[in-house]
Amino acid sequence: MPWFSYVALSFLLMTVIGLFAGSNPSPFFKSMQVTTSIMIVPALVAAAVGAIVNVRRFRAQQATLDAIEEMIQLRRWEPAGMLLDRFLSMPMRSVGLWAQALVDLASLLGRHHRFEDAIAVQSFVIENELLDDQSDYYVRFARAMAMLREDHLVDADRAISDLRRRDPERMSGGAGGLALVEIYRDVKTGHPDEAIELFAKYLPKMQQQLGHRVADAHALVARAHDLLGQEPQARAAYERATVLAPPSELQRRYPELVKLAEKYPATVAPGEVA
Amino acid sequence: MISAERAIKTLQRDTTISSVLRAVLFGGMFAAAVTGVGIVPVMVLLGCGVAWAIVSMQAARRSYLMGDSPSLIASGQYDEAEEQIEKEIRSFWQFKSVKLRGLHHLAVLRHAQRQWREAAILSQAILRQRLTTMPGVARTTRLMLADSLLELGDLPGAHHALLSMYAQKLSLNEAMNLLVVQLDYESRIGAWQAMLRNLAHKVQLAELMPSNSAARVQAMLALAARQDGKEELAQWLRRRAELLADVNELTAHRPMLKQLWI
Repeated sequence: MPWFSYVALSFLLMTVIGLFAGSNPSPFFKSMQVTTSIMIVPALVAAAVGAIVNVRRFRAQQATLDAIEEMIQLRRWEPAGMLLDRFLSMPMRSVGLWAQALVDLASLLGRHHRFEDAIAVQSFVIENELLDDQSDYYVRFARAMAMLREDHLVDADRAISDLRRRDPERMSGGAGGLALVEIYRDVKTGHPDEAIELFAKYLPKMQQQLGHRVADAHALVARAHDLLGQEPQARAAYERATVLAPPSELQRRYPELVKLAEKYPATVAPGEVA
Repeated sequence: MISAERAIKTLQRDTTISSVLRAVLFGGMFAAAVTGVGIVPVMVLLGCGVAWAIVSMQAARRSYLMGDSPSLIASGQYDEAEEQIEKEIRSFWQFKSVKLRGLHHLAVLRHAQRQWREAAILSQAILRQRLTTMPGVARTTRLMLADSLLELGDLPGAHHALLSMYAQKLSLNEAMNLLVVQLDYESRIGAWQAMLRNLAHKVQLAELMPSNSAARVQAMLALAARQDGKEELAQWLRRRAELLADVNELTAHRPMLKQLWI
């Protein structure tokens, strides 16, 4: 029980004693009533101070978590990992903060290619319903990607069907994100025609919803064309992908793209931004 | 649909009522504490404490429910967001900060709906309040105000709103939003070289943005690069912009970008 509750209980107890003492005219009860009346004020002050301290501690944890998320976005993986390790070792002020920290942990595990561990963390978060709908959808999407990376194709297929049932149009990055997972599955399972078809159908959505991650879709469709021996299309798609993301980053995300890098030239970023 | 003026009036009315309510509660508790002993002061103290706790808990619960509207706006569900925000604004709040947050959400919604005049009026009303305990809201509102004023063609107003942002420590999201507005402003005054300063960092930030903002930033940088005679850089940035967004849509919002595709 938090100490705030002890203060509240003491406050209640003192009030009851005060009321009881007030009904008795003897000097002992009179003095007891005076004492409880005086003690109520510090109890109230203590409760208010306690609430302020709790709010400040919550805000400090929220700020730390925000800092971790910014580090992850800026690809400063090492400091983010160290800070997250310390953060998760502390008692959490809310379940929401804890769940978000676990989502960040899963991203870091994925970055270090520990996909099995990432899947375990993501499954824990999903099964315990720790997140709101939007965040839950994102975690399911990331888990499906991790499953594909680890060749858990049956599980991934089930995860994709589950994503489709969750009204992706209402989720941020929804339909575009789902199309990206499906394209990856089709490339992975040797169905390049379906991947190309999905790409053509969902490109505007992916363009709109995925930001620079639309590079992944261009790179995967390049691989699909390459599997079909359509080299000019594969070359053009790989060129588009590497305009948006460096080849090293694309290959880190999808090892299947290593073969493309050996075959087709990548777009080189100008010196001013390299 | 609630108008900006109506929402601001509701804020002012509720702020006055909650100040009076707070004064009555605190006054009652103070009077009960100092007027001595007996059942009546204890009961008054207890009553005020319970009333305070109930109102605070109700505010905390509603404040938690309010958390939904930003995600509704982000996912483009404007009608649902409108309904929720209207409910937030019309209901009484004991704490001014919660009411201000509702008004801030309305400003965010109007900004997302491209209703620049309403967004500017709401932002100005929010910034007139004391926001020392809500620095994040103050910064986001200032950015929104700068962007809305730019859209309304008020360059001095936008410059004034942007100036105070540079002295503050910004979060990553705020830095990204500031970059979008700053490049927009600089492109309108033709500060091409200033736009290309610290280019690698600006491109890195653009890569983290949602598609439309990323495309707009890189198209503006492409325009600056072209004006500065850096054609290879301009082409690379332009290519990125066209892979991220529909060029017609991009140039419809910023006609000066048309010259990149001529």
